[in-house]
Amino acid sequence: MKLLTHNLLTSHVRGLRPGGGYPLGIQATEVKLSPVDFNAQFVARMVPKVQWAALLQAAQSLGHGSDLPPEPAPGYESDEDFLRRLHHVLLEVEVVEGILRCPDSGHEFPITKGIPNMLLAEEET
Amino acid sequence: MAAAGRPVRYFCTAGRGLEPFVAREARARLGAAQVEQAQGKVFFSARARLRDLRALRAAERLFLLVRRRPPLLLFLLLLGRMVHEIQQLVIEEPSSWLETVSRWKNLHDDEIKKENLVPQKRRSEEEINITAKKQKKEKLIEADSEEHQMEEQKKCVVPEGNNNEDSLTGRKIFLEDAPETSKDKSVESNNHSFTFRVSCRCSGAVSKVFTSQEVGRMIGVTLLKQFGWKADLRNPDLEIFVHLNDEYSVVGIPVFRLPLSNREYIKTAGLRSTIAWAMASLAEISAGAFVLDPMCGLGTILLEAAKEWPNVHYLGTDISDSQLQGACKNVKAADLMDKIELLKASVIALPLPSESIDVVISDVPFGKKFTITKDIKLVPDILREMERVLHVGGTVVLLLSQDPHKYVDGPIANYVENDASVNITTDDTNKTVIATDSNPREENGNPQSISSSNKNMEREPHNDKMKCFGSLVLVDSHGVSLGKTNAFICKYKKMPTSGVNSILK
Repeated sequence: MKLLTHNLLTSHVRGLRPGGGYPLGIQATEVKLSPVDFNAQFVARMVPKVQWAALLQAAQSLGHGSDLPPEPAPGYESDEDFLRRLHHVLLEVEVVEGILRCPDSGHEFPITKGIPNMLLAEEET
Repeated sequence: MAAAGRPVRYFCTAGRGLEPFVAREARARLGAAQVEQAQGKVFFSARARLRDLRALRAAERLFLLVRRRPPLLLFLLLLGRMVHEIQQLVIEEPSSWLETVSRWKNLHDDEIKKENLVPQKRRSEEEINITAKKQKKEKLIEADSEEHQMEEQKKCVVPEGNNNEDSLTGRKIFLEDAPETSKDKSVESNNHSFTFRVSCRCSGAVSKVFTSQEVGRMIGVTLLKQFGWKADLRNPDLEIFVHLNDEYSVVGIPVFRLPLSNREYIKTAGLRSTIAWAMASLAEISAGAFVLDPMCGLGTILLEAAKEWPNVHYLGTDISDSQLQGACKNVKAADLMDKIELLKASVIALPLPSESIDVVISDVPFGKKFTITKDIKLVPDILREMERVLHVGGTVVLLLSQDPHKYVDGPIANYVENDASVNITTDDTNKTVIATDSNPREENGNPQSISSSNKNMEREPHNDKMKCFGSLVLVDSHGVSLGKTNAFICKYKKMPTSGVNSILK
């Protein structure tokens, strides 16, 4: 699971207050770094689409928090150094094994072989 | 995109319903001109290199056009004339045959030089020498027929005589040919002789008179007489494709040995690759988008989309472990791990915030393939979740089998808020007519003409079943064949809620 995907995930446990399921906490037991071709335009397009605070939190929990500024600075589109660091955090850091934790309910969703299992008990077939 | 030289005439076979997609793609990818659609085929002219031709995604197979003639319907009662016409496919304009074969050679020579396949060419030349040395002439013809109601599926090869190729089942047919004359012809017409195999498909009226095998045989004999080319069932240089039906008589040479629809980058296919690509082509996928397939199965749609539109983040979710494992293998084999991420999740409870996704594409399964047991009743829940996670202005492209599609347009439409006066229950039409006597939409307010106002009312429901689901509005729909069944590719757009209300009024 890449951090770009994590940034999109929310807990859908029933009865949570609005927004109470986001962002999911990460507790990783195995993290992998895989090189991904850098595409500055793509990364720049991601900046307005990601929830920055959640991304920072996730990066920090995996030890990559210092790579990113607290906020994207204006003119980030042409700041290659920033884009490369963002590229690294969003796409090259992968959680292979671990747990995603719902902030309000504490419910844990396991990550196995890079694939998070977001099913609640009643949804399991 | 355009290579040098005169434009060449090609045709593609296409699954029924995909012809417009092939036509559009040929124009866009190859700058094709004189594009003509027929049932199951698209004809076009283009100047293109092999690698551009290979990139076609909506087509089944690609052929160099040798000959296209009107259908043989006219000659049905005149057997001799029919035979003559079939032979004419070969004999008439021999230059077109030779030109097409040399074009095929040119396309492949470039390829062969690049890929170093010279040993293969040498082998086929040896085979030609061996057959030429033999005293008896043998011909092997394969009649290739696919799923047409009129046809039988037989391999027509006669086992007889001492040929080293009799390891195959079947029979071989002997011909009376003077070796000298055919050799002379081959020297005249070619640098070296080709071996060929005829694949023939007959349907419609022609198939009532001749079997595919018989037509294939006729073509094969005529080719030998005309050009001196020998037949080879197992490993021919050239495959010749003949299709005779009620619309046309077509002869072509396949450009590639394997169909274009066989993707080298897909390990295990789920949905037909051509349909998956066609769906993705409707979805308006732009760079930087988030694309979701919430019932991704083996991931075929995501694979096709990611290959074509790479600067996008793709998410596939599925409820089944085995499907996800298959999808994972497919994604790895296609080297798309950077672009496609997988999750285990339920389509009716997606772990995504509202309005976070730009495009949703999915094959909505029903019948035997369906894993959720509650079947059609779940369609509204599925659509509701898709609608929820989608940005306003986002696109949904679904593959729906016939029944759920009817269902979506029918009772589901009542999910949309309707004006009370227009909401009609079909059982008590008379009562409804009387109750809404003063309805301004009625053209004839006269209470006597109940029958005509009935008609008005009956028409209204169809108009108001605007093919809406909440804020999802159907904007495009294509019927396609999935082989044994039919389905619809349906495209929806998420409108801002105020927009939907204005459509209804």
